[in-house]
Amino acid sequence: MPAPLAPLTLEIVVLLLGIVLLGFESFSKGGDRGWMARWSVAILSVVFAWSFFTTGDTGVDPSHAFYCADPLALFFKRIALLTTIIVMVISLEFRPVLEKFIPGIQPGSGTGEFFALPVFTCAGLMFMASAVDFLLIFVALELVTISFYVLVAYMRRQNASLEAGVKYLILGALSTGFLVYGITWIFGLTGETNLARITQVLPSLLAEGGRLHGSESALLFALMLLLIALGFKVAAAPLQFWVPDVYQGAPTPVTAFLSVGSKAAGFIVLARVLQTVVFLPSIAPKVLSVLGLLAVLTLLYGNLAALPQDNLKRMLAYSSIGHAGYLLVAFASIDPAAGNLYRTQTAIGFYLFGYLLMTLLSFLVMTVVSRHSRGDDIVHFNGLSKRSPFLAFGMLIAMLSLAGIPFTAGFYGKLLVFSTAIARQNFLLVSVGIITVAAGFYFYLKVVSAMYWKEPTEDQPVTASGLTKFTVAALCTAIFYFGIFPQSLLSMLPSDKAAPVAVSPAPHK
Amino acid sequence: MDPHLPWFVLLNPLLTAALIHLALRRAPAAATGLSVLSAVLGLITAIGIWFSGTPSAPIEISWIQLASLRIPIGLLVDPLSKVMLLVVTGVGALVHIYSTVYMAKDESKGRFFGNLSLFMFSMLGIVLANNFAMMFIFWELVGVSSYLLIGHWFTRDSAAAAANKAFLTNRIGDFGFMLGILLLWSASGTVVFPELAAKIGSLNLSAGFLTAAVLLVFCGAVGKSAQLPLHVWLPDAMEGPTPVSALIHAATMVAAGVYMLARISFLITLSPAAQSVIAWIGILTAVFAALLATQQDDIKRILAYSTLSQLGYMVSAIGLAAPGAAMFHLFTHAFFKALLFLGAGAIIHALHHEQNIWKMGGLAKSMRLTFLTFALGYLALIGCPGLSGFFSKDLILLAAWQQSKPVFALGLFTALLTAFYMTRLFVVVFLGQPRSAAAEHGHDGPVAMTAPLTLLALLSVVAGWPFIGHTLMGHDLAEGLHKIHAGGGAETVMSLATAAFFVGGAIALALYSKAKRDPLRIAPLQNKFYIDEIYAAFISATQDLLASVSNWIDRWILDGMLVRGLSGATWGTGFLLRFLQFGNLQAYAFLFGLGVVVLIYLMALR
Amino acid sequence: MSVTLNHYLLASGLLFAIGFSGVLLRRNILTIFMCLELMLNAANLSLVAFSRFNLGPDGLPNYNAQILVFFIITVAAAEVAVGLAIIVALYRARQTTHVEDINSLKF
Repeated sequence: MPAPLAPLTLEIVVLLLGIVLLGFESFSKGGDRGWMARWSVAILSVVFAWSFFTTGDTGVDPSHAFYCADPLALFFKRIALLTTIIVMVISLEFRPVLEKFIPGIQPGSGTGEFFALPVFTCAGLMFMASAVDFLLIFVALELVTISFYVLVAYMRRQNASLEAGVKYLILGALSTGFLVYGITWIFGLTGETNLARITQVLPSLLAEGGRLHGSESALLFALMLLLIALGFKVAAAPLQFWVPDVYQGAPTPVTAFLSVGSKAAGFIVLARVLQTVVFLPSIAPKVLSVLGLLAVLTLLYGNLAALPQDNLKRMLAYSSIGHAGYLLVAFASIDPAAGNLYRTQTAIGFYLFGYLLMTLLSFLVMTVVSRHSRGDDIVHFNGLSKRSPFLAFGMLIAMLSLAGIPFTAGFYGKLLVFSTAIARQNFLLVSVGIITVAAGFYFYLKVVSAMYWKEPTEDQPVTASGLTKFTVAALCTAIFYFGIFPQSLLSMLPSDKAAPVAVSPAPHK
Repeated sequence: MDPHLPWFVLLNPLLTAALIHLALRRAPAAATGLSVLSAVLGLITAIGIWFSGTPSAPIEISWIQLASLRIPIGLLVDPLSKVMLLVVTGVGALVHIYSTVYMAKDESKGRFFGNLSLFMFSMLGIVLANNFAMMFIFWELVGVSSYLLIGHWFTRDSAAAAANKAFLTNRIGDFGFMLGILLLWSASGTVVFPELAAKIGSLNLSAGFLTAAVLLVFCGAVGKSAQLPLHVWLPDAMEGPTPVSALIHAATMVAAGVYMLARISFLITLSPAAQSVIAWIGILTAVFAALLATQQDDIKRILAYSTLSQLGYMVSAIGLAAPGAAMFHLFTHAFFKALLFLGAGAIIHALHHEQNIWKMGGLAKSMRLTFLTFALGYLALIGCPGLSGFFSKDLILLAAWQQSKPVFALGLFTALLTAFYMTRLFVVVFLGQPRSAAAEHGHDGPVAMTAPLTLLALLSVVAGWPFIGHTLMGHDLAEGLHKIHAGGGAETVMSLATAAFFVGGAIALALYSKAKRDPLRIAPLQNKFYIDEIYAAFISATQDLLASVSNWIDRWILDGMLVRGLSGATWGTGFLLRFLQFGNLQAYAFLFGLGVVVLIYLMALR
Repeated sequence: MSVTLNHYLLASGLLFAIGFSGVLLRRNILTIFMCLELMLNAANLSLVAFSRFNLGPDGLPNYNAQILVFFIITVAAAEVAVGLAIIVALYRARQTTHVEDINSLKF
């Protein structure tokens, strides 16, 4: 019988790792810091494996808990760990670029924090996955955000990185302001900060004679403030304006981390917050319609604005907005009568996992290629199939999966998302989704055609380290494996067998 | 039957493609050998499947299993797919063998054969799929692999443009296809063909709903089988290597639309309105394409338009509730059209990539074997009595005769035009004197080229003979053919079709054999040409008018507005959207605030 | 006149609005950053007010909210530390803290 706090040990180990790494960085002389990343990869992999042996029981009454460890939380912790591991691999490939843009007395000095901070971010993401009290949500979110401020602006000799850092700092702090103000109002209206308690007290407060009866709009206002702050984190339109600039300017590993880790954590917090209100008949319709609007705007903005992009990093930024749109479709299609969010949780869990694989794969390949081609425009990928067939193949798989080609993880995620919308007969969302998928094909395949159909501008082959090659191969395999055998992943997520939703035959005659 | 056989047929080319792309791209000889070997193995297995019985249990493994949606990865082996398997693997194997010569000097031969195997995989997937979702997936995969093959010589701009055009046009059709599948699924709750067939009768669906669903699904066929108005991509797709044209644009991929329609004929018969739309679109495509074919000078383009026209026949037959006749024509057409394309390829190869028929001529003497086999394919296509095309075309015309006289009239006119333009092609290319230096050095290809030609020529002759064709088609389809035959009017239709063959051929012979023997002729001095002149003027004026009108519609309305307009509008929106990203921090904060205000208004104040 | 919850809420709302308009209107990034801190403090004020005026059934306030205020203050301090460092780095590189000068990333 494991100790009751077993799940929390995961975070504790990750935090300790971060502190130890920082300590080493402070008390050792300059030199190559690659070992820090390699050790992080090793230790985080162990933690990742360990996560399969922890129990979900924290032994604390949920209405007093800050921290829960349900299957969903564990699943998102694994997403955070895996993301961090792969980001470390990307960082290793990125080192030469990094060293060029930071002041240092000798080569390699000053890069240590770049490998230590992601570990703290990872801990923050893991806490977010488990947070069920606004207090912990806030602190974990800020742990993540503040370490991202540093990471985004890390290349202090490069204007783009600094500019991205400042933009992210100001807009991020702005969204924090809204988050805190939203929490304040929720607390003011319900008298609670614990999500489970809020769920318990809200129905009686809203009922006839309750304190909030007739003033639903105050609650909606508070929810809106929270939605805005979380919408900012997950890059939902119209709160997405920071994304393209920050993604383009930030160091590539950080961009990868932002687009996967930050997004995943934002979505799980969104799911937990929404769970408190979407089953209330007087609140749900408005919340869902606003979510639907956000989904449509996000889908259109992300996918259409990506079309004319020539810079791959910026294009991936727009594409990440687009993917947030698909995830929001799953939220907008919550069934208020279902009594649980299993279908939505399953859809976003699977989608985000697939998104993790394909996005990190594309960023990994991009880092290697842009180091050799000295740039991350799409033209720098011309003729990659001749310079490195292996990396080109990896990028091909990533692009196909992002576009949503069947038998890839990306396809199955989209299918799950659309099936939630179809089950709710939400055909507007489905049709917008299908149109944007079609637009997506265009810009993802633009990269493929550059790699396979254009003549290379440079001749020397692109080489990558063994670890990178292994990671590329593993990610490709995983994309196909989970696209063909999705059940293995679905079994880790909340099951929707309890609430089978049949598609009612369309009325005919 | 051993359930492993169909799996082997399907997965063997995939494995080959993967091996070639991942390991053998730098080793073209090994890639070629592997690809040919796998194609031949596929053919042998397909023959084995044809001889074994139907499987007792469905061959499937589960893939997607949601509460409301079950999509297995399943294979359907029935008479229909067995015939199609024979066609695809048969023509496929011959084209593979032929390509070893045709592509011998190509730099990226490895890539070519890898993509060819990938295409075989996707095409076989369509043939064997037992459900709509899987068929759609392979449908798209076929689109991708043909995109790769058409664009094989991607350094030529025209090849890249053609590949893009084919891809985009097909997306329009596929969008309808997908909506159709979704409609059928939402109504019946299943996408698996046998389950759908069993369920659909008891659902009491309204006629309008059924018509909409069938027509939407038909959109997919319109795109893939290049029917009016989405036919624009096929002639351009001739930019690809000729063996690809023979395989993809004659025998297999373009026929996939017809095959799919035959597969769901149980649905189509439920909606008479959809049936007549399908019949008319088919026959109009047939006439339209045949008219255009009379004005082309590029040997491959003539064949491409001819393919369009023949596909029109098949689609029309589906609309006439004669899927058996459609499949029969698909079957015979696959052989003689592949033969014609490969023959054309042999000529193009011998003449160093010369494709203009007016620069050929007199090849009958220098390319004896190619000439003989091409002649058989040509006669089969224009419906010479006794050859395969005659029998299959006759059945479609007969079905039209029995059900709709206007469709029949157009069909007959198309038959006449077919005889006309093919005779023109044949006479100009093979008879008379060489009209260019290249044409003087024509020569037959090596045995890897002539053997497939000979084999296909043999099949072009015999595939239509009732006792061979009907046996291969299997009992059910042959039954349908006999029914059409017994429906009356067989003699009338047969004599009219034969007459069309003779008339069309004779006009072309009269016009072109003489005119070209002496290109410098001075018309007024030779009185006997006056009749020809008037004739020619009349014919060419009408022809020119019709052809140029069709050409105009083709170029501006369909290609310009439909294809380019749509993608342009999307791109333009994207282009404008990005100007919201000023780069100014406070502008972002302001837009953020605007978003906040709008959202709060929508949520709390509305 | 006694000070009620509504007075606190009004003051906090005003603070929040002032902060937000400062973010939108001021041109110096340092000032913008200070306005952001103002927004956080607006939230702190109403959080404490809510905690003080909405007593539980046992006559005690929900102390979670007051603890949350301490966390917000701490986190805001961390944010300022990091934020100022970034702004200083920006000033060293570009010799400006003017918001209109940082727009090289766009479209």
